[in-house]
Amino acid sequence: MQDYLLLIIAAMFVNNIVLILFLGNCPLVGVTSSMESAFGMGAAVVFVTTLAGTACWIVQRFALEPLALEYLQTLVFILIIASLVQFVEIVLQKVAPPLYRTLGIFLPLITTNCMVFGAAILSIKRDYTFLQTLVFCLAAAVGFALVLVFMAGLRERMEVSGRIPAALQGVPITMITAGMMGLSFAGLLGMAH
Amino acid sequence: MAARIVQEFTKGLWKEIAPLRFALGICSALAVSTRVDNALGLGIAVVFVTCMSNVLISLVRNLVPDKVRIAVFISIIATAVVIVELVMQAYFYPLFLVLGIWIPLIVVNCIVLGRAEAFARKNPVALSLADGLGMGLGFTLSLLVIASIREVLGSGSWLGIAVLPDGYPGFGFLLRPPGAFVIFGVLLAAMNVVSKRLEKR
Amino acid sequence: MESVLTAVLTLGALAFAAGLLLSVAAKVFYVPVDPRVGQIGDLLPGANCGGCGFAGCLDLAGAIVSGQTPPNACRCASEEANRRIAALIGAVLKEREREVACIFCKGDAAHARLRFRYLGIADCRAAELVAGGDKACAYGCLGLGTCVNACIFGALRMGEDGLPVVNPDRCTACGACVRICPRRIPRLVPVSQKAIAFCSSHDPGKVVKEVCTVGCIACGLCKKVCPENAIEIVSLLAVVDPAKCTGCGKCFEKCPTGIIRPASGEAPARRQAAA
Repeated sequence: MQDYLLLIIAAMFVNNIVLILFLGNCPLVGVTSSMESAFGMGAAVVFVTTLAGTACWIVQRFALEPLALEYLQTLVFILIIASLVQFVEIVLQKVAPPLYRTLGIFLPLITTNCMVFGAAILSIKRDYTFLQTLVFCLAAAVGFALVLVFMAGLRERMEVSGRIPAALQGVPITMITAGMMGLSFAGLLGMAH
Repeated sequence: MAARIVQEFTKGLWKEIAPLRFALGICSALAVSTRVDNALGLGIAVVFVTCMSNVLISLVRNLVPDKVRIAVFISIIATAVVIVELVMQAYFYPLFLVLGIWIPLIVVNCIVLGRAEAFARKNPVALSLADGLGMGLGFTLSLLVIASIREVLGSGSWLGIAVLPDGYPGFGFLLRPPGAFVIFGVLLAAMNVVSKRLEKR
Repeated sequence: MESVLTAVLTLGALAFAAGLLLSVAAKVFYVPVDPRVGQIGDLLPGANCGGCGFAGCLDLAGAIVSGQTPPNACRCASEEANRRIAALIGAVLKEREREVACIFCKGDAAHARLRFRYLGIADCRAAELVAGGDKACAYGCLGLGTCVNACIFGALRMGEDGLPVVNPDRCTACGACVRICPRRIPRLVPVSQKAIAFCSSHDPGKVVKEVCTVGCIACGLCKKVCPENAIEIVSLLAVVDPAKCTGCGKCFEKCPTGIIRPASGEAPARRQAAA
């Protein structure tokens, strides 16, 4: 039990997937200008990462490894993720239209989001069991959503302040803020590795 | 025609240099820029992938139905990446180990798919190759700039050769992930200032 | 050779499975989308300003097709575009007069008293949070230009007197300024309205006089003098009914604080001479 707790803390905070592992930096810039879109994107990513991470794990263990085709990993994983995202989009549109309206526009963005792909590859690289993969993907994605929401909150306030020098406005100040945020996340290093 | 090719090639190096202008492909740019040699390695890999995917996509651009084009593009890109992965594993094993997951992650590098969508699927092969080469080299260039700053100031060396005096304590912050964000932000701001000055002239 | 075969077969099988899954899902979970939604979306301005109350132009297009809103619900679309949208869904268009934003406050630095010097964040919403802003009047314009920044059409600018100025030619009446102002001082009025009472204060006359020399004190003189009965005093504030007002100008002369003015907002000649 404690192992899983440590895994969660490590994936969510200490080795935060955005700030420390540099995965999913594009949405960090792209969809953090408003709280609403950060929340939508975050939720969509949590959903897809967990689903895709476990699906990739299953295919890796039960198809690629027995057939000694590990070198096709990249190709197969991206195939799984892309079709999974499309599948989720189709199903959501029918089954839960309100959810589709909030998450739908973010789903196409996720196909090429390195965070989903990265989480899937990392789970394989670190030899996680199925349950560990599930927990890791979920925790990492929640960490991603958390950073996105934090950043959106900070940016909304920074915009109101109107005191950012012209050259720093937009992406540069977002990057510097991300650095500061990363420092504080790294401060939790003592808790878990 | 030749002029167009040159133009498509050079735009990727300054006017539309992807990471520094549009913050595209910054994930890997930040992750592997702790040392210049790593940056160079990833840069060359990306140049290969952008060129190959642009050429292939440009070749099949009239055959692929619009609805499934993203899936086809991604498969082509993934194939190019797998080739890079296998070549690196065979001939540059130490570099392969250092770059780790960032080699397969070239698949989801926004620049590669972005160029496929925005350029290669509408333009002939020669122009697409020039565009891919320019964009890839632009990415490498940005990577080298960030890596040079981080390596020189962070550990006092460049490409592994010590450039600062022996007593230099090293600025460890720059080698850590948060330092990458800060350096990149400052670099973008500097870029803004420079291009505004140039425009005024 | 064999390994190549396994690779090709595995990849082919996986791709086939994924393709099958998607095509089956596309059939099973098929949601019919009205093609008119896209067509209307193309006719709308595409600024996604949200002035219609929907989340962007496509959302509005969906609402128009389903009949939730009239086809001319977009305030920014040209009349031509509105007609074509209406033609698409076969509805008859009711003529609606164009509206423009209007700033309902004339209390600039020379006329309105301040309670303290505000040096905080230059945003009206922030200033409103700090003890209700620097203006002594609880209804007056804080003049930090939040509405100017909110206007994506460039129809608002900050005047020299520290109050926002509307450019009626550029204003599309999207209502962004109305929504963002913490005091709701910009409001939309018909473009043909002739007389406007430029004040938002619901305070009694005595309070208004203490804080501002150009506020509505609810004396009711304008109501008495109006030959068309176009002016009402609604909760201590004069309100002109644009449907009745003929623009005769009698109220301009009578108003003791001079806040009922022509729609241009400039004080009539008589008052300028007196001041």
